[in-house]
Amino acid sequence: MQFQHTQLENGLTIIGEVNPTAQSAAFGFFVRTGSRDETSSVNGVSHFLEHMLFKGTEDLSSLEVNEAFDRLGAKFNAFTSEENTVYYAAVLPEYFLAAVELWCRLMRPALRIDDFDVEKKVILEEIAMYKDLPEFQVIDQARQLHFGSHPCANSVLGTEESIGNLTAEQMRDYFRRRYAPNNLVAACCGQFDFDQTCRLIERYCGSWQTMEAGRSLSYFEGTGQQCRQTKEGLNSEHICLMSPSVSMQDPRRYAASLLSLIIGDSTGSRFFWALVDPAIADTAVMQCEAMDGVGIFSSYFRCPARNRQKVLQIVQDIFRELAEKGVSEKELNAAKNKVLSAITIESERPMGRLVSLGFNWVYLKSYRSVSEDVQAVKAVTIDQINDLIREYPLHKYTQVSIGPADVL
Amino acid sequence: MLNAKSLETHSERNKMESVEQMTLPGGLTVLVQPVSGVESASFSFLLPGGSAALPDGCCGAAAVLNDWLFRGAGPYDSRRLVEELDGIGLHRQSSVSPEYLSYGGSLESENLSRALELYADILLRPRLEEDLFEPSRQLARQELEALDDDPRQKVSVCLYERFYPDPLGRPCVGKEEDLRQLTPSQTKILKERLFAWSGAVLAAAGKIDTHAFLKHIERLFGEIPPSRECPPVLRAAAGGYQHFPNPGAQVHIGFMTEVPPFDSPMYYSIMAACMVLGGGMSSRLFTEVREKRGLCYAVGTRYHSLRSCAGIAGYAGTTPDKAEETLSVILSEFRRLRNGISEDELLRAKTGLKSTLIMQNESTSARASRLAADWFYLKRIRPLEEIRQAIESLRIQSIQEFLDGPYGRKFTFVSFGPQPLQTLQKKE
Repeated sequence: MQFQHTQLENGLTIIGEVNPTAQSAAFGFFVRTGSRDETSSVNGVSHFLEHMLFKGTEDLSSLEVNEAFDRLGAKFNAFTSEENTVYYAAVLPEYFLAAVELWCRLMRPALRIDDFDVEKKVILEEIAMYKDLPEFQVIDQARQLHFGSHPCANSVLGTEESIGNLTAEQMRDYFRRRYAPNNLVAACCGQFDFDQTCRLIERYCGSWQTMEAGRSLSYFEGTGQQCRQTKEGLNSEHICLMSPSVSMQDPRRYAASLLSLIIGDSTGSRFFWALVDPAIADTAVMQCEAMDGVGIFSSYFRCPARNRQKVLQIVQDIFRELAEKGVSEKELNAAKNKVLSAITIESERPMGRLVSLGFNWVYLKSYRSVSEDVQAVKAVTIDQINDLIREYPLHKYTQVSIGPADVL
Repeated sequence: MLNAKSLETHSERNKMESVEQMTLPGGLTVLVQPVSGVESASFSFLLPGGSAALPDGCCGAAAVLNDWLFRGAGPYDSRRLVEELDGIGLHRQSSVSPEYLSYGGSLESENLSRALELYADILLRPRLEEDLFEPSRQLARQELEALDDDPRQKVSVCLYERFYPDPLGRPCVGKEEDLRQLTPSQTKILKERLFAWSGAVLAAAGKIDTHAFLKHIERLFGEIPPSRECPPVLRAAAGGYQHFPNPGAQVHIGFMTEVPPFDSPMYYSIMAACMVLGGGMSSRLFTEVREKRGLCYAVGTRYHSLRSCAGIAGYAGTTPDKAEETLSVILSEFRRLRNGISEDELLRAKTGLKSTLIMQNESTSARASRLAADWFYLKRIRPLEEIRQAIESLRIQSIQEFLDGPYGRKFTFVSFGPQPLQTLQKKE
């Protein structure tokens, strides 16, 4: 594996990890923009814009875009989060440059009003679809409650109202400000030629204008508020807890991620033994989400509605015990082995590697090889984990639950 | 060692990656494919005799058993067993299908032999202690209940139940009335029926020393007494249309039409037709339903096959006022496909199928699953070159021959939403 990187004069960064023995190659544009960069009047625009990029350019219709990707046999898509919008494609090596060229063209979309109007209906359908997924709803609402006035509270999808009122002109304005070359990273992985790829990207993107595309960064502990909602037709109780954690810039993110596995991996964790093994809840998981300047531990539980109080009591006991006694060497070793095998499996596919590669650059402006990640995981100590528990008290959480009406 | 033979030789670059096969006296077939340039290994057990092998009144017993098996085996109690599995960093999967149970996982290759020792305990010497049965049964009931909160998932479960001949379509997650009555002793007896070792397969792929691996497996699984699968007696499928009232924001529509199963010579034509219809973003359904009309966010089709029957299944989710129009566009696209596909569509489908094939090969887990599935459905391993050539030789005419068959003449429908779909109710 060989890492290379360069920056165009307008600020667009190109990074690549070349693996000549890979059977495919993956490419992605990482745009440092998401719902936290939106004002309430355009809430949902980042995600809507992500859809609109597939609608083509001045010379390409949306049908031609989809056909062009499918003609390359590409596994292509995009996703939007609170702070990133990522466009990607994985292809066989012989189609790599064609896929890169297509993405470069699409990054300067036409944003036609007819396409905007049809796609608005699709976005409203997507919002409706997630309304029928309580697991998604509860996490989305917990995030809003936890972050309160912090921009990370902004919903990625937006609301029926904000999307309904959004105009194409507002989207064009947001696009101009946020899709500046200095706010983009082009990442490549697998079997490809770095210099050739750079020349191609420069040809298409070299003339794009640099713009100020900042982001307000502030740490936020969370509101610690609680709420329960009822919903007709639900059978189970869906609970989400969020508490503060480290940011992506914090080197302790490896320790935080191991801690979340010790507490809430789907097997063998504290949650597993206390909740899933005795069938009090059928799902009980925790994740550490390290973000730009801020972070959360996020837990999700699904249980029969009658077990809601019991689940919350047990979780509080687990958090108290962790604060008092910390974690054990055995727990830490198991968590490390799980992470290490996940890294190994993920890095065997260029598409798996692309996301880590891209995000490391977006957040840290640095390259981390697979072996550096492995070393960082191995180096985490019990003391570091126990210090984290003290610094980020797990019991200070925000809580949202959604369940049926007729249960106390 | 028993006579291991080489089955598959890949293209130039993968010359070393041939598949070795060995069949043990109890009937377990072992397939192993070393992969160069990787550090991981994956394995997959398929045991014939899935949820359709269960007698009436025991629906869901396989799901309960799947949990109960991991609550202690061989020398390990429940906690020790999970600690051992977690300690080697195993990312495990287990699932219940109508015709088989599957157990597998991926991990760093140096821990593979330890993982298989643990699976020998789990599959051959599970403790199945009576006092640990109840939580397994409760978890199965909770998962079944939780399915009601996810209409999109439930559409598939209900669709298969109506589409496939009974008992092949019975929900693998179980039925409440059956789960409520299930006992530990009954489930223990059912295990024998569910674990038909005579047709079982273990496939492994990754950084593996084939010779040492086969020897190890022979030691672990060499003395299983043969046990045969009892194929279920099939009863006619219900078919038709069923609506489930659901107060959600969307109407969730599932649809399925019969096509030949996996072992059919038409398999590649079916896959190509299914891609053109609803497989990718340039597919006809995506274009007509989403891109042109904005009726849905999620719409698409997939091929779903059991051993003796299969279908093209599809899903669309839309808000209630658009449901009739969505259905009508979908049905007209199913019909229009019968008039044939274009050269450009064929070319895109072929490229898509080929790139999927090669990219799947990059994952040791996908390789192990493919080996196991090939053996289960075809009783042989399709060499990569054979698949590549079959895709390459697809012609408009061969796809037309498939489309002229039973495809799209009869549908099974289910919907979840505030109101039944009028178009379908009139047909009933």
